[in-house]
Amino acid sequence: MAELLFYVLAAGTVAAGVGVIACRNPLFSVLSLLGAFFCLATIYLLAGFPFLAATQLLVYAGAIMVLFLFVIMLLNLGDEEQYAERPPFGKRGLAIAGASAGVLLLIAVFSVGFGSVSASDGDSPAVTSFPDESIDDVQSIAELLFSRYMLPFEASSLLLLATMIAVILLAKRQRGSGAEGAGWPWKKGVEQ
Amino acid sequence: MTTQDLAATFDRLLGPESAVATAPMLALGVGVLAFLIVDLFRTLGRLRPLVFLASVGTSFALELRILFADEVPGVVLDGSLHADHTTAIWGLLFLAGTLLAWIYSAGYYRHQDKPFKAEHDALMLTAPVGMMLMVGAGDLIVFFVGLEVLSIPLYALAAFRRARTDSVEAGLKYFVLGTFAAGFFLYGAALLYAATGHVSIDALAAADLSSPMALAGAAFVAASVFFKVSVFPFHLWVPDVYQGSPTPVTALMATGTKAAAFGFLIHAAGILPASAAGTVAAIALVTMAAGNLGALAQEDLKRMLAYSGVAHAGTLLLVVAGALALEERTAALNAALVYMAAYVFTATGAFGLVALLEADGDRFTKLESLRGLARTRPGTAAALALFMLSLGGIPATGGFLGKWFVFSVLVDADMVGVAVIGVLFSVVALGYYLRVIVAMYMQPPVEGKAPPTTVRPLTAGVATLACATMVLLLGVLPGWYLGWLG
Repeated sequence: MAELLFYVLAAGTVAAGVGVIACRNPLFSVLSLLGAFFCLATIYLLAGFPFLAATQLLVYAGAIMVLFLFVIMLLNLGDEEQYAERPPFGKRGLAIAGASAGVLLLIAVFSVGFGSVSASDGDSPAVTSFPDESIDDVQSIAELLFSRYMLPFEASSLLLLATMIAVILLAKRQRGSGAEGAGWPWKKGVEQ
Repeated sequence: MTTQDLAATFDRLLGPESAVATAPMLALGVGVLAFLIVDLFRTLGRLRPLVFLASVGTSFALELRILFADEVPGVVLDGSLHADHTTAIWGLLFLAGTLLAWIYSAGYYRHQDKPFKAEHDALMLTAPVGMMLMVGAGDLIVFFVGLEVLSIPLYALAAFRRARTDSVEAGLKYFVLGTFAAGFFLYGAALLYAATGHVSIDALAAADLSSPMALAGAAFVAASVFFKVSVFPFHLWVPDVYQGSPTPVTALMATGTKAAAFGFLIHAAGILPASAAGTVAAIALVTMAAGNLGALAQEDLKRMLAYSGVAHAGTLLLVVAGALALEERTAALNAALVYMAAYVFTATGAFGLVALLEADGDRFTKLESLRGLARTRPGTAAALALFMLSLGGIPATGGFLGKWFVFSVLVDADMVGVAVIGVLFSVVALGYYLRVIVAMYMQPPVEGKAPPTTVRPLTAGVATLACATMVLLLGVLPGWYLGWLG
């Protein structure tokens, strides 16, 4: 039963992922992405990681989705005409790139083998069995974050600080130079 | 875990070794925070250079302390971070590169109406933390965080001249392609973890990585790092991004990112199978060809230096190939350290002089406006000539020593053919480096094209002198530096 559900959800994730790039209206793309996130969250739940599933929903389906929708509404991207242009490189190049990536992934997938996710293999411990349930409770995650993974955790705070400074630097309006967005090259053209 | 267990864990993790190992990064982090506070008050604004110098200086001293200590901290924080003589030398190089790039940026933005200098300096101070995390990383997660700590400031700094289309274009290109490469890294790391159950670099090197999934993971990780060091076929962004970015930022991008990523590649060479040595050598040679032939066609000094950066990445990748082929990696590591030390000072100096020439307009970096520079600005011309010779690998400069070490590693690794082709490409490279010298010394100035001699900030002179001294020291008296390597 769980296995069947997994395949349904996995197929749903892939279908939603295709929807993200295939939809011409950005709004539908965002909604497909939302579908992909929900399917993924359910897969996490199935695999026995309720905390990860909840985080996935909170962070991705919650915060990030809202951001996406905001940007789309603010920038009024609903107009699909302007996206009708095709990328400059030909379809053949895209096909080659996509095909080679696909072959690589298929090899990777078959090397593990379908359905052998819980089979004991010996030399690949991570996929042989799902880790103990105790890994997924909040306390053990917190303990790992503040012991084994303390350095990356703390370094991430510097990363976030740098990101904030970077965003402010790029988005700050230049005072005294008049119109909104002054200082950006493309806005100058609009004013003239 | 009980409270006592927790206390024991913290005692183990936060011992004196961890403090010594992370102190250089903490000094820079404190500097970033101090910048934000100092910038709040108008009266304190003048302290900004002081904060920058104090922060970099403290970090420098702390790296020296690790370098000259009898007992290095080694692996700390449960295997997250390495701190030994090697990482200390890398750290010193990063700090030197950052400091020099910052000095060159001092007069660079004076034509910009609102320079946002505090944000610029704070981001510049953050970048070396990322580089230190990258070379010291004990596992792929730390490396990834370091990569982002380095990259995000650089994305913003590339677009720093907001009023200019080419700068914004550079920032956007670098950002989009850089995040794409970061995604590749994560995917590769996830595949490696799925195949082996490890993220630690040492454990991965010891594990069996022959399954297709592990190979695909290693290939993805390598591809994303290759993107960062601008190796063929991931080098196409380099000319536009290097040219569009403000020149001091380009200097940091060209030297710091490259040094940090190569430091990681040699440390983590065990993740790639030894049989990849031939492929990596082939990629390196193609990169050298792409960089050198591209540079030959350039008429603009900054763009030429960008292609030259690609060629140098190719040369360094030969070291990685050598490291893969050799059992003992110390020689390859030392070669990379010597090569990168020379490259940091040479390329920073060269880009710094481009920044100086550019002060009155982009058109002054064209080769034709360099004509006769030896007569109008003899000091600048002499320094630029020295840097060109070092980039080309002429004896008595640091660049020669670096090339000599690289090719001797290849010979040790039984890759004589590769070494011969690499030397031939270095000869091709002389074609464009010497063109600059010929233009400066043997051709008359073109009316109206020569850069005006008005702007000569003292700071840039000091930085150029420091770079030139280091290039000569590494070329003529390298004993002290080689002594550090042991």
